[in-house]
Amino acid sequence: MTGQIVIAPMLVALSTAILALLARFDGRVEKAVSLVGAGGYAVAVAALFDAVVLAPGGPTTLTYGVSDWQAPFGIVLVADALSAFMLALAAPVVVAAAVYSVVSVDERGQRLSYHPLFHFMVLGVSGAFLTGDVFNLFVWFEVMLMSSYVLVLFYSGREHTRAALGYVVLNLLASALMLVAIGGLYATTGTLNMADMARRLADPAAYGVAVAPTLGLGALLLSVFAVKAGTVPFHFWVPSAYRAAPAPVTAVLAGVVKKVGVYAVIRLFFTVFGGAAYASTSTFAYVGPVLMLLAGASIILGGVGAAGREDVDGLLAFSSIGQVGFIVLPLGAAMTVPAATTTLAGAETMLAVLGVTAALVYSLTHALAKPLLFLASGTIRSALGTTDFAQLGGLARRTPLLAGGFLLGSLALVGVPPILGFFGKLLVFRTVAEGIAAGMPAGALAAATMLVGAILTIAYVTRGWNQVFWGEPTERVQQLIPVRWGRSRFAGDGDAGSSSIAPDGGPSTVTDRALVVQVAVVVALALGLVGLGVGAEVVVDAATDAAHAATGTDAYVEAVAPVDPGAEYSPSHAAGAANASDGSHSLDASAAVDGGER
Amino acid sequence: MSDDAVAGDRSAAADREAATERAVRESYDRHTTVIARTVVRVVVPIILVTAVGLLLQGHNRPGGGFIGAVLTATAFVLVYVIFGMEYLQDDFLGLRAADGGSHAAVEYYRWLFAAGLALAAGSGMAPLIAGLPFLTQAVLFLHHIPLYGEFELASAFAFDLGVYLTVVGGLLTVLGEVGSE
Repeated sequence: MTGQIVIAPMLVALSTAILALLARFDGRVEKAVSLVGAGGYAVAVAALFDAVVLAPGGPTTLTYGVSDWQAPFGIVLVADALSAFMLALAAPVVVAAAVYSVVSVDERGQRLSYHPLFHFMVLGVSGAFLTGDVFNLFVWFEVMLMSSYVLVLFYSGREHTRAALGYVVLNLLASALMLVAIGGLYATTGTLNMADMARRLADPAAYGVAVAPTLGLGALLLSVFAVKAGTVPFHFWVPSAYRAAPAPVTAVLAGVVKKVGVYAVIRLFFTVFGGAAYASTSTFAYVGPVLMLLAGASIILGGVGAAGREDVDGLLAFSSIGQVGFIVLPLGAAMTVPAATTTLAGAETMLAVLGVTAALVYSLTHALAKPLLFLASGTIRSALGTTDFAQLGGLARRTPLLAGGFLLGSLALVGVPPILGFFGKLLVFRTVAEGIAAGMPAGALAAATMLVGAILTIAYVTRGWNQVFWGEPTERVQQLIPVRWGRSRFAGDGDAGSSSIAPDGGPSTVTDRALVVQVAVVVALALGLVGLGVGAEVVVDAATDAAHAATGTDAYVEAVAPVDPGAEYSPSHAAGAANASDGSHSLDASAAVDGGER
Repeated sequence: MSDDAVAGDRSAAADREAATERAVRESYDRHTTVIARTVVRVVVPIILVTAVGLLLQGHNRPGGGFIGAVLTATAFVLVYVIFGMEYLQDDFLGLRAADGGSHAAVEYYRWLFAAGLALAAGSGMAPLIAGLPFLTQAVLFLHHIPLYGEFELASAFAFDLGVYLTVVGGLLTVLGEVGSE
């Protein structure tokens, strides 16, 4: 079997996590393993992206039968343009966060298995993006969440414990609901394979599937994914968890883990349920208005919340609630008017393609900008011990590079050209505008919500920038960063090294070199945002390919080509006889990963 | 280190330490009856053999690494409950308590956990060398083995063993950490 490339990102993350666990005898070795692993992950993702999206003859879909079992009997990994796009979105965040972690996590943190957990989280994310099996999706969600539970609780103070408790309880509840919904889907459709499920739902009569229950089960799944994505009625875990977790973990949570929720919505509702033949209308018509409501409420609540915060972390956390609203809004708009068409890149396509493209480009912007801002905030915290506006001011004069990075990240959220954020916002507005043209109900309200959200974004971003970087340096800044960063070392001034304070208030071990690396990571992400903005055509093309893959249910089913158990089954394949042991066989493999997480 | 030095070390501080430990153990002993201790002595080996049996047959009959490991952990729990935390690591595994009074055996359990994960993942990746997908399994039947007859050598056992070690290590780490608090 060729195509081992499909599983490569997962195997790299898994190997890195285990090697980091084995390397715990020496902190430096563990750090090196973590760094090399993150680099290897990026290479694996790049190779997969190259094989899928940049394949000769247009984007293709690669499948991989784990353990040599054929769909739908075994677990199949499916790398289409959508999966590849999401992985490519995750890789830079993972690399940036890993580099940042190496300099910011201290000895004690390493003893708590920080690096193995970090890579297990990456493994869970990659698995969720790649799997073509609904139950397996649940397993990877769990792998990702179990690692993140520990990482959110990392500093284990009172406040952190409380934040982590809310996060854990809500997500465990969501996981239980997800399991119930998946069990229901299995009972209804008789399969767990996504392609097989899509095929059965598209032609329910031929397979004897009663479609009515899948609507309710789909709604249950939607609420679970809304919890993971942190949209409004389930947003309340976001601010406390983001403030409690270490900066690089928050970067991955906000940049990547949230997007897993968005990805799951796109994959299940556009690919799997998208082709479903319901009574007289598509499933979209039921889900679309709900999604739009969630998105609109998130945009307003996130924006208002962020504008009222008195610290950088809180501002960014509420901002990411609002930004997820902007990501979900085009999906809802496209679902609400399923029959609408548009022209994209000179060809007429469904509005759904434009909606998914908009959501993906906006996701990419947010996946780079929000980690950038959280890492910048973490750098401020490790240098000054706080991110309260009252204690900060005038940092632009002390750390021009950090200020520049923060500014670019903020402008990306606002959507100023030529940064990538502009194109994300443009596509979102265009989707809604075309939705209105196609007769979307409550279109004016959606447009107004978006405008208000955009104005709120400008407001809170400006406020954050003014409070932290402009104005006169406050007493605390004067004391801890007496001169511009970079000057002190070259001047050979021995005692000008940062005398900083750890997040828990104790003396910090953060060194000048660590701060330089932290700032460098922020600047690199900022340059990436500008670079992708300049080359936005490539990004939009890739996102369009991904959107075509997401909405092309038939092509997806054809690529996975699940065997029809009702039809004759050729035992020539290595899978052998298809009997009840198939299920237990594949479940055992996932249970092992699950068990390993405990 | 010479024998004298060892003896000197032991005589001074270790004597006091041993006395405390004895006191702790006696306090445990007072909580458990002769019946409980005798039953545990008989039952623990049986549990362990059953656990290994479940592990060995797991790839084609009810059982497997996970349930075998849970059973093994149960045997350890019985020993912990009836004979106390220190009995296992001092008298059975021959470890000294680590600095700070934490449970020394936990460090070994952590290694077990990591080694088990490595074994499971390694057995999954081995087929990649042959160009087969991740986790592909193979089986080899050995015939005419003295006394045993036919023997089934399944690659799934390596994976099961990895799961077994991981779960034993994980459960005992939790028990050791929580139990010593």
